[in-house]
Amino acid sequence: MMDYFNELERETERLYEIARKARARGLDVSTTPEIPLAKDLAERVEGLVGPEGIARRIKELEGDRGREEVAFQIAAEIASQAVPDDDPEEREKLADQALRTALAILTEGVVAAPLEGIARVRIKENFDKSRYLAVYFAGPIRSAGGTAAALSVLIADYIRLAVGLDRYKPVEREIERYVEEVELYESEVTNLQYSPKPDEVRLAASKIPVEVTGEPTDKVEVSHRDLERVETNNIRGGALLAMVEGVIQKAPKVLKYAKQLKLEGWDWLEKFSKAPKKGEGEEKVVVKADSKYVEDIIGGRPVLAYPSEKGAFRLRYGRARNTGLAAMGVHPATMELLQFLAVGTQMKIERPGKGNCVVPVDTIDGPVVKLRNGDVIRIEDAETASRVRSEVEEILFLGDMLVAFGEFLRNNHVLMPAGWCEEWWIQTILSSPKYPGDDPLNLSYYRTRWNELEVSAGDAFRISEEYDVPLHPRYTYFYHDVTVRELNMLREWLNTSQLEDELVLELRPEKRILEILGVPHRVKDSRVVIGHDDAHALIKTLRKPLEDSSDTVEALNRVSPVRIMKKAPTYIGTRVGRPEKTKERKMRPAPHVLFPIGKYGGSRRNIPDAAKKGSITVEIGRATCPSCRVSSMQSICPSCGSRTVIGEPGKRNINLAALLKRAAENVSVRKLDEIKGVEGMISAEKFPEPLEKGILRAKNDVYTFKDATIRHDSTDLPLTHFTPREVGVSVERLRELGYTRDCYGDELEDEDQILELRVQDVVISEDCADYLVRVANFVDDLLERFYDLERFYNVKTREDLVGHLIAGLAPHTSAAVLGRIIGFTGASACYAHPYFHSAKRRNCDSDEDSVMLLLDALLNFSKSYLPSSRGGSMDAPLVLSTRIDPEEIDDESHNIDTMDMIPLEVYERSFDHPRPSEVLDVIDNVEKRLGKPEQYTGLMFSHNTSRIDEGPKVCLYKLLPTMKEKVESQITLAEKIRAVDQRSVVEGVLMSHFLPDMMGNIRAFSRQKVRCTKCNRKYRRIPLSGECRCGGNLVLTVSKGSVIKYLEISKELASRYPIDPYLMQRIEILEYGVNSLFESDRSKQSSLDVFL
Amino acid sequence: MNEIIGKFAREGILIEDNAYFRLREMDDPASVSSELIVKIKSNGGKFTVLTSEMLDEFFEIDNPAEIKARGPLMVPAERDFDFEVISDTSNRSYTSGEIGDMIAYFNSRYSSLKNLLSKRPELKGHIPIADLRGGEDVVSIIGMVNDVRNTKNNHRIIELEDDTGEISVVVHNENHKLFEKSEKIVRDEVVGVHGTKKGRFVVASEIFHPGVPRIQEKEMDFSVAFISDVHIGSQTFLEDAFMKFVKWINGDFGSEEQRSLAADVKYLVVAGDIVDGIGIYPGQEKELLIRDIHEQYEEAARLFGDIRSDIKIVMIPGNHDSSRIAEPQPAIPEEYAKSLYSIRNIEFLSNPSLVSLDGVRTLIYHGRSFDDMAMSVNGLSHERSDLIMEELLEKRHLAPIYGERTPLASEIEDHLVIDEVPHVLHTGHVHINAYKKYKGVHLINSGTFQSQTEFQKIYNIVPTCGQVPVLNRGVMKLLEFS
Repeated sequence: MMDYFNELERETERLYEIARKARARGLDVSTTPEIPLAKDLAERVEGLVGPEGIARRIKELEGDRGREEVAFQIAAEIASQAVPDDDPEEREKLADQALRTALAILTEGVVAAPLEGIARVRIKENFDKSRYLAVYFAGPIRSAGGTAAALSVLIADYIRLAVGLDRYKPVEREIERYVEEVELYESEVTNLQYSPKPDEVRLAASKIPVEVTGEPTDKVEVSHRDLERVETNNIRGGALLAMVEGVIQKAPKVLKYAKQLKLEGWDWLEKFSKAPKKGEGEEKVVVKADSKYVEDIIGGRPVLAYPSEKGAFRLRYGRARNTGLAAMGVHPATMELLQFLAVGTQMKIERPGKGNCVVPVDTIDGPVVKLRNGDVIRIEDAETASRVRSEVEEILFLGDMLVAFGEFLRNNHVLMPAGWCEEWWIQTILSSPKYPGDDPLNLSYYRTRWNELEVSAGDAFRISEEYDVPLHPRYTYFYHDVTVRELNMLREWLNTSQLEDELVLELRPEKRILEILGVPHRVKDSRVVIGHDDAHALIKTLRKPLEDSSDTVEALNRVSPVRIMKKAPTYIGTRVGRPEKTKERKMRPAPHVLFPIGKYGGSRRNIPDAAKKGSITVEIGRATCPSCRVSSMQSICPSCGSRTVIGEPGKRNINLAALLKRAAENVSVRKLDEIKGVEGMISAEKFPEPLEKGILRAKNDVYTFKDATIRHDSTDLPLTHFTPREVGVSVERLRELGYTRDCYGDELEDEDQILELRVQDVVISEDCADYLVRVANFVDDLLERFYDLERFYNVKTREDLVGHLIAGLAPHTSAAVLGRIIGFTGASACYAHPYFHSAKRRNCDSDEDSVMLLLDALLNFSKSYLPSSRGGSMDAPLVLSTRIDPEEIDDESHNIDTMDMIPLEVYERSFDHPRPSEVLDVIDNVEKRLGKPEQYTGLMFSHNTSRIDEGPKVCLYKLLPTMKEKVESQITLAEKIRAVDQRSVVEGVLMSHFLPDMMGNIRAFSRQKVRCTKCNRKYRRIPLSGECRCGGNLVLTVSKGSVIKYLEISKELASRYPIDPYLMQRIEILEYGVNSLFESDRSKQSSLDVFL
Repeated sequence: MNEIIGKFAREGILIEDNAYFRLREMDDPASVSSELIVKIKSNGGKFTVLTSEMLDEFFEIDNPAEIKARGPLMVPAERDFDFEVISDTSNRSYTSGEIGDMIAYFNSRYSSLKNLLSKRPELKGHIPIADLRGGEDVVSIIGMVNDVRNTKNNHRIIELEDDTGEISVVVHNENHKLFEKSEKIVRDEVVGVHGTKKGRFVVASEIFHPGVPRIQEKEMDFSVAFISDVHIGSQTFLEDAFMKFVKWINGDFGSEEQRSLAADVKYLVVAGDIVDGIGIYPGQEKELLIRDIHEQYEEAARLFGDIRSDIKIVMIPGNHDSSRIAEPQPAIPEEYAKSLYSIRNIEFLSNPSLVSLDGVRTLIYHGRSFDDMAMSVNGLSHERSDLIMEELLEKRHLAPIYGERTPLASEIEDHLVIDEVPHVLHTGHVHINAYKKYKGVHLINSGTFQSQTEFQKIYNIVPTCGQVPVLNRGVMKLLEFS
């Protein structure tokens, strides 16, 4: 493994060297690459927030204490450094630095919170003249997460004590101000994760020993205004997040650390820490259906199953090589059948978490459907699903959802009873004392390949009887979904005929019972035909009439010759969430170069158009040579070679035509019709990029982001193992890259061998690869024609990208992670090791983020392009982590299961609903491997799949062009799925999507701003002159179209389905209001006049 | 709770819904029910349906002083109504939602208010903003406010605009009186300014509102009752209180003095929110007793229908009624309130509207804009809507602030301008009674018949329930029905 990391670092260094040479030419804003490399957390922290040299001290401290302790210690050390004359300003600066560094340590040096979430730290005065510490939080503190936000308040207290300050003594009005702000925030801005009662806020506000204050984040004014010590009358969103979602919500954790550090004055937190104690007297845990995920139903995003409804997804435990970290497996046949699920589509789910990402796994059960001709079939592959799709009348059962144990652990959700499945059945045999040691069924082979094992009904009964194990899952039907009475009716019906090759029965209403049980059968000439195996299983199981009982399976077991298990004791409800995505990042409008041209380039910001005007006046920063006073846009003076100094930006007249001409000559590009710039620079220095870069980007058809990097965004998906075939890379090439053995230790020779993915290798989408090919060509052009260096990539096809380095970067973070391209997928996703995603602080419930070609980022990124506004440094590669240490990444990834099968104990104990932590003793996961060599290798999976990206690649939501069609399909699907109630879907879409949307838009319409078509200036209220200051035309910002967008479709739905009259009336009233706004009574009258 | 119904059912007595809900609210429904059954049975047991009215009788029997038999009222046999609608925008919505309508709307506001302002002697010499020149001379301008904000040094800047241009007006904080006055300036109102042009600014020396003159009090030989925010259909609608109010106005309830006051009532004005409506706020369905808009108005018809027919009822919609939400709101549409429309003595008008009640000019406005005024102006609050009304009157506009909570329709003419100074300004919306006589104008907010809602609980708003202001021949009286 070390070889791998060293190889990556060597290659990084090679690219860095090229970038150094290029930058040294002085053609850019700075003469060196601006992304510092960091091997570990300590270096990331130093790279991100400093101070210089802190990495070494962090490493020293890390030896014998936890990360939190290190953070506190570092904070105290920085803040209490000696300051000449104890200068208060200096002390303030140190306190500020101390808090940021400590918060960076807590957040693994990845997220932007330490930079952006803390506006500043001040030392202020109490009314009794004592001095205290105030922390000014800003909106992006959100990215730190509740715990880190809470701890940053605690750290501030620690700093306060370290530098000998008094506590903050709030006055009544200041306390009440917090109470009001919390309520206003929830009513006007957005809901907090936890809504504290006013007294809870009062308590926290009066007791927290530092002032938790902040910048205004929302244009909402409070009534407790003009307080002497609170600088703003607007809501302080960051402060509220720190107080409520931080200190109050995470009270137990804060208290724990306060006690550990012997910090006084935090005991009041105990009021918030009443942990809900589980009933001492071993009560039985009852888990109820949870409908939270269907409280909102969105147009075009179908509900696939109502909460815990029969026929919904069946819970199956396990982790496939493409699941984990919130990605869960669904059979590709189910995906193909529903069409709304593609690889990477997000689902909102009932449990164990809130959401997941769908990935195909074909070693689990597919759906059971009823066709129009009455046949009921199990669909076991995607091709069949797409073939019979149009014939499907009802989806009786959606199939399995493969959920890793780690998902329950991560969400601290009690285990749910496991569905009876082949891998469990095999284990029961293997553990049966009656099963001979010589393994007559060859189960040691089939243990991981149960799909290859075919068992006839006769054999199934024989095995059960012989080894005293429950009946094979295939012949175990959904008995628990019918009543004893129904089973007896079925039994009588079955007994009306004799089983020969098949069982042929007169068509009777009892057929419905067969359907619900999920027994495959055919309908032929008004007769129901059940195949031999299923008929045999049914007849043999239903040997005698059942005695009355509310527990069907229990009653059944009293007559059945062998034990019958519950096929699907846990059904999981879901609805479709966000569609998958893979797309190049483009700002709107999308620039080729960060060069300001004002409005001269038209609405397309086209530089050649602007250049036609010759000279233009724009606000721009320039550099001046300190020795010869020549002004330029380079870091090295073009005339004398001295280092230049960037001056204050200002309105300047520039000869764009000449600049463009010269730039085009410099890079030998003749004529380009379109090179898009920006209207104005948003950075503080307003220093532009060289025009040459824009010309070359335009030539290669790539676009830049705000920081001058080129990005491609994809949905994140996890991957721990892959085959050469599925990533489209040859065995030879993979062997060159170090993949010499498969995950079982055999030499790699065959395209279908399974390889364990190295933790920083990524499989990018084909779309991404095609874009990166163009980026590579751009970089080569740049090296050759602009920097006068050798071409580096020389790629022609996407295959040529294999082995090249990329940087992965997630929104709200400021640390990129080094990765290596190892293959390609047709799915709209970026596959990477769970560690890689966690290192970016992402999981896989439809998060998406970007990749950059590393050399592009090193050559072109500059901090100086970043907006000076709050949040400007988020989503920018301020530092690059070159090596992933699983101990130093988000601990979500520590829950990843690494077992090659789910232990029998998990299945058995799942029926008692234990907390996941209670069964950890039999679990193998990343957590248990941390710090050992096994943390990088041997992370096994329990479920294989034939292809990681089988099934649909684009979900139907994206394929259908209009909302009408999306909703149409959504409702058709609702009609088909047994676990979905069509009417409540229609009502749900109206109630939670269309009606609020229309109401909101009607309101918005009657208080809207207007906008100038020419200069885009916005007016809160239309000027009396009726035109823009620039003379341009003003238009509405909320159009009639957006108001009535969903009116027709709502009316149509209301007329077609028997929906709640309440909703009907709401639609009618809305329509009346809309007509009153858009139709003049005069026109109505005049049309009447004609008739009168 | 079904045991109550069961209890009565076993005795062969059916319960009407309202009676059931009232019973259910009582401290000990079960024993009260038993008592009732005994009483009904002892009365001969010929009742088959227990109504809410019968409940009244049973519970007030202990308090006979309160209840008098329905006696003849001291009302003239034949009443002459001199009722006139001066302004009503129903069926006169001419906007078609185009940007041109918006331009017309604000220009209409500007020119109406400028007209009023330019009549003031101080503003006779006002000039267009575009014609402003520097110099030491005092200039006067009239403009619509674009923005009001404070500078770092705590001076106030008012950005003014007219149809020729824009200018920033500075109010120095050393000019204490003016600075204080300028605190109440809100966006989109129209003001006049005296000041000196200095650079890009006009430094204000005086600011003028269109204002109201003290008006002559109107003689009246009758009384008018004012209610609003009845919220029929809500679980929190106080039906008992409302029924008592109806009984009172019909002369069947109250002291001798109160009953003679009732006899004097000639008009009843209802300033909106007759019903609770549907879909007004998220999750409303959970707080409704009647989930059907037609049935809500039918219930309203039943309740208002009991009011003696020789009282003229004037009714405008509020934000809960089934009109459009943008102001001015057309009258409650007939199609939703058929049975209410069938009551002959109700006049349905727009929000706002201006009527003459036997010569008493009454401006009726629901009061949505109070939300924005309370948010924007320091010192104004929902509790004191009389102070807000005072401001609106001075500004001569019912809803000056655009773009906040009050949706405004871009009608070609601004019907929210107070053209004519009324004798009475009647509003509702805030659920808190308020009264003030300001420059001869009666400013009335008529409270509510809805008890404290969940929403109000959270915001600690304490409504005044069942209190009805009555203008008794020029004197305000407050009656309480709870």
